[in-house]
Amino acid sequence: MAKGGGLFNLSKFDVVVVGAGPSGSTAAYLLAKAGFKVLLLERGRGAGSKLLWGGKAYAEPLRKVWPELDKEAPIHRWVTKERISIVWGERALTLEYKLGRKVAFTSPLPELAGWMAKKAESAGALLLDEVPVDEIVVKEGRAVGVRSGNDFVSADVVIDAEGANRILLEKLGLADRPSPYDMALGVKEVLSLDPRLIEERFGLERDEGLSWLILGDITAGIPGGGFVYTMRETIGIGLVLNIGHAAVAAEKGILRDHVSRLVEGLRTHPYFRNYWREADVIEYGGRMTIEGGLRFVPKRLYSNGLLVVGDAAGMLVNTGYTIRGVDTAVTSARLAAEAIIEARDRGGFTEENLRAYEEKVRESYIYRDLVEHSGIAEIFDDPFFFSKVPSLATRAASKLFEADYGEPSLLEAIKRSAEEEEISLLRLMLKVGRVVRRI
Amino acid sequence: MSQAPSRLKVMKLEELLRRDVWDVDEERHIEVLKQEGLPLKALQLLCPMGCYSMAGERLLMSYEGCVECGTCRVLSKPEQIRWEFPRSGRGIQYRYT
Amino acid sequence: MRIVVGVKWVPNTQAVRIDPETGTLIRKGVPSIVNPHDLPAVEAALRLRERVGGEVIVVSMAPPPAVKGLELVLGMGADRAVLVTDRVFAGADTWATSYVLSRAIQKISAEIGRVDLVLFGHETIDSSTSHVQAQVASWLDWPYVYYVSSIEPLGDNAVRVERELEEYEEEYVVELPAVVSIAIKAMKPRPVSLQSKLRAKLERRIITWTNADLKLDPRCVGLKGSPTVVAKTVDMPEVPRKKEVYRPRDPKDAARWIIRKMVEDEKLREVMKGIVGDEL
Repeated sequence: MAKGGGLFNLSKFDVVVVGAGPSGSTAAYLLAKAGFKVLLLERGRGAGSKLLWGGKAYAEPLRKVWPELDKEAPIHRWVTKERISIVWGERALTLEYKLGRKVAFTSPLPELAGWMAKKAESAGALLLDEVPVDEIVVKEGRAVGVRSGNDFVSADVVIDAEGANRILLEKLGLADRPSPYDMALGVKEVLSLDPRLIEERFGLERDEGLSWLILGDITAGIPGGGFVYTMRETIGIGLVLNIGHAAVAAEKGILRDHVSRLVEGLRTHPYFRNYWREADVIEYGGRMTIEGGLRFVPKRLYSNGLLVVGDAAGMLVNTGYTIRGVDTAVTSARLAAEAIIEARDRGGFTEENLRAYEEKVRESYIYRDLVEHSGIAEIFDDPFFFSKVPSLATRAASKLFEADYGEPSLLEAIKRSAEEEEISLLRLMLKVGRVVRRI
Repeated sequence: MSQAPSRLKVMKLEELLRRDVWDVDEERHIEVLKQEGLPLKALQLLCPMGCYSMAGERLLMSYEGCVECGTCRVLSKPEQIRWEFPRSGRGIQYRYT
Repeated sequence: MRIVVGVKWVPNTQAVRIDPETGTLIRKGVPSIVNPHDLPAVEAALRLRERVGGEVIVVSMAPPPAVKGLELVLGMGADRAVLVTDRVFAGADTWATSYVLSRAIQKISAEIGRVDLVLFGHETIDSSTSHVQAQVASWLDWPYVYYVSSIEPLGDNAVRVERELEEYEEEYVVELPAVVSIAIKAMKPRPVSLQSKLRAKLERRIITWTNADLKLDPRCVGLKGSPTVVAKTVDMPEVPRKKEVYRPRDPKDAARWIIRKMVEDEKLREVMKGIVGDEL
């Protein structure tokens, strides 16, 4: 173990936070503000350089940490329109909702996470980037610090904010390697487009944004969906695919093209492409997200001297129509910081005193949502919804809108479509009823 | 239907990869240890950066284009693929994602 | 031994694209990095320090964002970094750059302590001239050895260096002070370490010098002090590649197949003749 220089006690901190993503930076920010000596370790070059998401965050949970959010954060556009489309071939059925207030905003995650890390630094946390943590060091049943390469830093509390790839938790035996069915792959393209064109095409004012969920055959039958988010001068488009199902589809030869082809399919899709026909692709990438809901949450979010926050703690709610990962990460970190501050006031970071964190999480909207949407995984396990339902919906719509002679009633259109698709109406109603209950 | 403008032609993965920035490490951070039992087709089609390919019968992993997403990690066991993060901040440098 | 390592802050050329319509370089959004050729030089300096003690000082002439690169090098274990930065230094060619760097090295010698050895990478990924190292040596009037693959201390006043060239190796004993450039394959740079990075950050080991510190004649630095004239730049068009895959069971078949391909291709045949002669 390398020793630090003489003047400073280099290797002793009150709190070491692993990972300067949204949850890590939130915890570091709040704890530094509360007077803790905080070390925030990040493996990437600069906070955010390893992050990719769809593009939308819910503001209110973030305002609880940073009341100055609306003024200071790199908010690209406030989401004023929510769209959902079901796509089958060249046909599409779209529903749009116009929001009345500032609920959610879009921003590139490297930029948003960079802002959060800056807030942590300005509150007094020490951010070191380019340093991956190899191990959370446990001695006599207590987390005492972290190791990176040959170097060790000690801390009274370690906060694990390592993200969905839980290298450290798995090493500690606190989490198992997840099933591929509990994980989803997000693949995304960033398109650059003149802001005026973005506003014109999507019918937006300046600073207004659109969030678009897409279901249907764009995923080649693999459980998942597509998304479109408008940023200031870019548009993020992409797909989220269940890895377990996608792997089976690949092995069976059902999925024959590389996943990038599916995203390119979305970009060049006749229904979508004219929104961004002049746009250049300026970035392409992928990142994994969680689909297992409660199954991904470790058995315990705390132990002696250790708290787990953000994606690593499974603090991500996948409702089927939206993935909430950033506001939940920030909230879990806020609750962890509260618990640590209370534990200090009660005299120590023992397991007993840190238990409050898990209790706070259980009382929060995150846990409630995780429980309520726990059935979503079952829906994802049922390819019925990703092949039969979209094709049925678009077929029924085609009977309504593409009737050359005489229009059938809506019910008649659904009934006839169901017959053609060889789906029993009863089975359909049962399944849809189950989804409605879950969501 | 009118001809799609050139920007709307389907791009190959290699073209998409040219949009990205890496500071490639000299050190390999992901390595196939044991090919047996790995879902070869899934790795080739699902790794978003196309890092996995076959050379005849052998599975090749080119770590240079990796974005450290972890898809190959959850599709394998520890004894099949050694999976670590690059050091010194190297690897993918996302900017607008 | 006090060792200065010169590092350059360069655009990550892997990420620089050419706009297909205008033919110009797209540099927007391309982050800069420490010139990869410089990292083995840093490694060489650190290994020397580990053997004989002393100090490793990194010096770079660059705009302020280069601090990020200096943090990386300090994170590898360098003791301090000097960032030489001033608007008047902007637009410098290799001549003006080497002038500023050599004066910065003299200032280090005068104010921090005598510099024994200056190390550089062999070239830079953004211009590849390999001029600056030789020019610094000239300004300082020190000996210069380039493309060095290993470097050993020889008492306090000399080093023994090896150069691995294509067909032979050379060994020199170089009296100090001297300038040496290190070949990129010579040694693998170590990763950033937590303790070094922590120390660099807490002890603020980056010194910034502007021209107010160096007091150089503005006519001799930056664009004004640069005699190089860029006569013309040419974009090399991308060569369309033909891909063929041949999967023989026997490696000998593979070799025969490759040779046949090379002989059949007119352009390649010419190149091959240049190498092996008419026996082809």
